[in-house]
Amino acid sequence: MANSFAFKPIRELAGLIASREISAVGLTQEFLDRLEQHGPHYNALVTLTPERALATARQAETDIAAGRNRGLLHGIPWGAKDLLATSGGIPTTWGAAPFKDQQFTHDATVVTRLEAAGAPLAGKLAMIELAGGMGYIHPDASLAGPPKNPWDTGRWTGGSSSGSGAAVAAGLVPFAIGSETWGSILIPANNCGLAGLRPTYGRVSRHGAMALCWTLDKLGPLCLTADDCGIVLEAIAGPDPQDGSTHPEPFIYRPDFNPGRRYRIGVPRGALDEAADAVKENFEAAIEALRDMVDVEEMEFPEFPYVEVTSVILMVESASAFEDFLAEGGPRELSAPGWHGRSPYARPAVLATDYIKAQRLRGVMARQVDETMAGYDAIAAPTAMNTATPIDQEFRSRSMTSAGAGDLMGSIGNGCGLPSISVPSGFDGDGLPTGIQFMARAYDENVCLAIAREYQARTEWHRRHPGEPGD
Amino acid sequence: MTTNADNSLEQELLFAIIKERYGYLLTDEQLDSVRTAIVGQREVFRPIREYKLTNDVEPFSNFRPFRGD
Repeated sequence: MANSFAFKPIRELAGLIASREISAVGLTQEFLDRLEQHGPHYNALVTLTPERALATARQAETDIAAGRNRGLLHGIPWGAKDLLATSGGIPTTWGAAPFKDQQFTHDATVVTRLEAAGAPLAGKLAMIELAGGMGYIHPDASLAGPPKNPWDTGRWTGGSSSGSGAAVAAGLVPFAIGSETWGSILIPANNCGLAGLRPTYGRVSRHGAMALCWTLDKLGPLCLTADDCGIVLEAIAGPDPQDGSTHPEPFIYRPDFNPGRRYRIGVPRGALDEAADAVKENFEAAIEALRDMVDVEEMEFPEFPYVEVTSVILMVESASAFEDFLAEGGPRELSAPGWHGRSPYARPAVLATDYIKAQRLRGVMARQVDETMAGYDAIAAPTAMNTATPIDQEFRSRSMTSAGAGDLMGSIGNGCGLPSISVPSGFDGDGLPTGIQFMARAYDENVCLAIAREYQARTEWHRRHPGEPGD
Repeated sequence: MTTNADNSLEQELLFAIIKERYGYLLTDEQLDSVRTAIVGQREVFRPIREYKLTNDVEPFSNFRPFRGD
């Protein structure tokens, strides 16, 4: 029985529930068992939530039996990055030792919406402490320990949604919710061989999620497939009076989306210049796989200091969000305080005029980037320049607060609040996944989802899964 | 026009502010780390300051007046 339902996409699991081949309670119990048994092996689990999960699953079973099916997520268990508030005495640690006993009396809107869809919350998943908000350069910056990649436990998952990435990749939950301020959904998706969707800023309510940077934070799904991402996004998206930044329209997932013409994809000039050989080869092969349905051309974004603008916004907003924490010496209690030239205490050293100037530039950037992107359905690029790095090494030589960090797609996408999906594009010689991302115009999640879905219909990378611990 | 020397002075003054505000929490080694980071941040500010915007370009913010029911 064990492992019989792991690694099945949501639509398939929903079909099994609908046909009574598995019950919501049985499915939830299987994933609870897997999460409990294997989660600690990957340092992916913070808190298992069996009582809450089984209560939701039992209600789902009752509703489904009575013909009250709430949709594809009804009875499908999931995991939450441990920065989403949960009531009922379940801790919300933000991945950080100083908050290990923190509890809330309310649920994050995302949690409420998934449970309203009948999806049982199986557990709270590990993350880089404070979502990397104090600056980090090493994978051990997590209350749960360094997050191990299911493809090779000597490599890390990427961060900061590390437990979300590991748990889905290892088949411990069918899907998970992560968050991205700058890279925290797409990089774990890349490193763990998953589909990860960073929605448009404001598409998903941030109410109840730890605030790192109010104008950069996004919540989104990590799943086995692009189709799964669309299903989950529809459930969690939409206006929320408790988050004034939410878009007023609901998101309706369109699994049949088709523009009625060939897609137009732009590839930024120089996008492959710093890519490892396998990343480059797999990206080129991915584009070839799409040739029958896309026109591809090299493009250039307008000239702006994207990295610097997004960095200043990140520095100032995170310094403000954690002002009290800094003043109380909180960083001393972190697993990996951000010293080594990346001190969080340097972040308040930004003049107000520099922050406001960055926000003014951001508006000009956003408009001109949108004008450029209007000529394309999506911009494609490798999600990361490398596969997962060794777990005992620094994962980059410079922090994102250093100029020239070089993440053009990340700084544009996050700075301008654009949606992007990463899906696996192949593997390197060490058996580690590589990723390709498709970034679309604001609110065009259905477009990037459709392209990613078409790509996955032509390839098999997303059907490969890592072995079980001990295999 | 600011010079490199002016920039260095600016970073030293910013460091002095941080030291005044948080120095009691930090070791000498950590203060060195703060100084290094502040000097690095100069390169982040430079292209933003050099970018020319016209007077009418507003911050890209989402503030809306609030009125409860």
